[in-house]
Amino acid sequence: MNKGAINMKSIKKLLSLAVAMSLTFSLVACGGGSKTSGNNGSGSEASETSGGTLKVQFDVEVASMDPQIATDGTSFEAIAAITEGLYSVDADGNPILAIAESAEKSEDGLTYKFKLKDAKWSNGTAVTANDFVFAWRRLADPKTASEYAFMVSIAGLKNADAVLAGEKGVEELGVKAEDDKTLVVELSHPVTFFESLMTFPSFFPVNEEFFKQAGDNFGTSPDTILANGPFKVASYEPAATTIELVKNDQYWDAASVKLDGIQFQVIKEAQQTMLSYQNGDLDVATLAGEQVEQFKNDPEFNNVAAGYLWYLSPNQKVKGLENVNLRKAIALSFDKEAIVNNILKDGSIVADFAVPKLLATGPDGKDFREGIEPYLSTDKEKAKEYFEKAKKELGQEAFSYKMVVEDTESAQNVAQFIQAQVQENLPGVTIELEVMPKKNRVERMQAGDYELGLTRWGPDYADPMTYLDMWTTDSPNNYGLWSNAEYDKIIESAKNGELSLDPEARWTALKDAEKMVMDEAVILPIYQKGNAVMIKSNVSGIEHHSVGVTRIFKNVTKN
Amino acid sequence: MKKYLLKRIVISITTLLLILLILFLMLEYMPGSPFNDEKLTVEQLALLNQKYGLDKPVFVRFFNYVKNMLTGDFGVSYTISKNTPISTLLETRLPISVRIGGQAVLLGTIIGLILGVVAALKHNTIWDTMTTVISVLGVSLPSYVFALGLSYSLGFKVNLFPLLYDGGAPFKSSVLPTIALCMFTIATIARFTRTEMLEVLDSDYMQLAESKGINGIRLITRHALRNALIPIITVLAPLIVGLMTGSLVIEKIFSIPGIGSLLVTAIQSNDYNVIVAIAFIYSAMYIGIMLLVDILYGVIDPRIRLAKGDEHE
Repeated sequence: MNKGAINMKSIKKLLSLAVAMSLTFSLVACGGGSKTSGNNGSGSEASETSGGTLKVQFDVEVASMDPQIATDGTSFEAIAAITEGLYSVDADGNPILAIAESAEKSEDGLTYKFKLKDAKWSNGTAVTANDFVFAWRRLADPKTASEYAFMVSIAGLKNADAVLAGEKGVEELGVKAEDDKTLVVELSHPVTFFESLMTFPSFFPVNEEFFKQAGDNFGTSPDTILANGPFKVASYEPAATTIELVKNDQYWDAASVKLDGIQFQVIKEAQQTMLSYQNGDLDVATLAGEQVEQFKNDPEFNNVAAGYLWYLSPNQKVKGLENVNLRKAIALSFDKEAIVNNILKDGSIVADFAVPKLLATGPDGKDFREGIEPYLSTDKEKAKEYFEKAKKELGQEAFSYKMVVEDTESAQNVAQFIQAQVQENLPGVTIELEVMPKKNRVERMQAGDYELGLTRWGPDYADPMTYLDMWTTDSPNNYGLWSNAEYDKIIESAKNGELSLDPEARWTALKDAEKMVMDEAVILPIYQKGNAVMIKSNVSGIEHHSVGVTRIFKNVTKN
Repeated sequence: MKKYLLKRIVISITTLLLILLILFLMLEYMPGSPFNDEKLTVEQLALLNQKYGLDKPVFVRFFNYVKNMLTGDFGVSYTISKNTPISTLLETRLPISVRIGGQAVLLGTIIGLILGVVAALKHNTIWDTMTTVISVLGVSLPSYVFALGLSYSLGFKVNLFPLLYDGGAPFKSSVLPTIALCMFTIATIARFTRTEMLEVLDSDYMQLAESKGINGIRLITRHALRNALIPIITVLAPLIVGLMTGSLVIEKIFSIPGIGSLLVTAIQSNDYNVIVAIAFIYSAMYIGIMLLVDILYGVIDPRIRLAKGDEHE
């Protein structure tokens, strides 16, 4: 039939068309790509004569480059790479003078006088005391509606609460510029960790003139972001997946900065992250849970402590949970090692404490946790003993409780494990899980409408008070509604009273306070979050912290 | 034709408004809010709600919203990029998704058509079987399997293409995502084309055309393909929208700053305004394309618009 003849010719024509198209396509693809930006190469370029560009993976986009608006760790890391405040932190987490040249503290600890260095912004303007005044007023201003406005209250600035509530104008806030290079801060009560708070991006300066010129576009592009830190922004747009920073020559300490720049790359997919790391497109990458097994013996593998403490909160207004022996029984009955090693596998560690490791260093130069024995460690035998005591005291054999859990994967896995362990090791106790979105879980706990809750707390500043303050009688975060007058007294004194004037006595008192919380099993600690990160062996100097700015890149060298 | 067009346009606009209302109401009753931080006090929450106008009654907010939308003001992002106008985010991200989606559609359609035509002409031969196998694979294997596979082989092992999307090399770094995306299109188009072509090739008018002496490419394109096109266009329309609006998975894997990944992030972080804005854009594009398809029908096959009945009273 005719069709046969037609078809052969037509097929050949069609096929040759297809081949031609594919060839053209691939030629254009390979050819058109040769103008790469140079940062995205396979293999390293030998062209850098100096420090090189550090390529860091982010697992989420930067939410804001505005220091008074940002609240998340990722934004803080980017902001802190380009901005400095009065203080910065050293590798051990101690505050060190940054933009401040010197600091004078009054006898009563209520007045600070900071002399500023001759530092410049990246556009050549000098960094002045007014930059700080403007920024802090912005932070406190109800009109800015910053989610971190409460930090001015934590810092103890005079009139902070009144300004936050809108009762007083921002000019009444306890900060003023005596002259261009002198900043005077007034507090309503002494704050021992004030210097540490100053390392927090919320207190970073903003140049008022630049801000007014940029208007609504402030912080949205290289032209509307001003830097006074080790790097400045070369490429950025809101919700960008790639952010490029270059060395800031106007930085007062530019001589110490060895890197040429930093490139932040947002990658959310685990395989892609590791492939990019392995082929050299990344120098720093965070591992997902399943990948830890694979890489934990690699020399480039690092375990980094983060700040979050995950724990169970028992509501003491619920029948049975007011009994300390029952609470202790539950606390000791689940295998925390199994949770961090088998379920999380991401570098998290067992928490036998209420104040996390590597959070705060004391006047003795040591970490808070150093020298303290573990509290409420897993011990199934002891758990059974406490349980027997509780049963006798309460005159009950069976207990049934609901546990509120947020709907993230890790929270649910942990909750299910704990449920199984408790029911197995304390026969007679049944736990039912109530899974809900995080906001609902928080609301229920804040309202006291729960029995057991799986929750976490992250530090706002590098002092044990950021945790211990949660369990005073009137604290809004004391979900379990525990109340102890002696505890309240210690905390009050450490915050505003006698103890706040004596750092060593205060430190000891805080340790005693933690012991009270643990002895009473006010919370049942589970784990402290950790991260598993890969860092190329030719990179050194990345400073990790569990509070505030989680990674500082100023002192990185790349060989 | 005019009446037909007008009718379709009015229906499209009404559908769009209805969708907007539904989306908005859905978000109202969705649990969770953008301000997730347990550290916010009641007063601060009130302040934030006031700042973003979240404390006004539902209908007032909806009305303001529609008004703003029609002037291009989609509101502001709460969590993904704080205080950033959503129109700014869309400006940079939409073109990228559209471009990569467009590439995938183009590539997928052409290859799919060719495969389908070849399979139909070479019915029951090796070409036909190959096409069927490709189609089944393309439709059954999820796009992320292709994506990760291509990434690993061509991106990592062989280093032919970049692993991730790179703004500095927009074309080269979009090759792998485009190929991964177009697999489904190739498979679907190939199948449809093959089926339709087979039917058409057997029909009376084809025999007539052949007997008139028309042969070769002209026979296939002008006579066979044109008739087979109607169902293909029907299928193509939603495919195009799906691809242009950014495959969520592909964008995540290749870190493409497109609106698909923006939507996923918005859902995970309860960024209300972004969710509604993007859902609205998806709907608008879908309705727009369907309208276009309806018009195309009328052009390709006059019988359709006449058969609608509005031409003869």
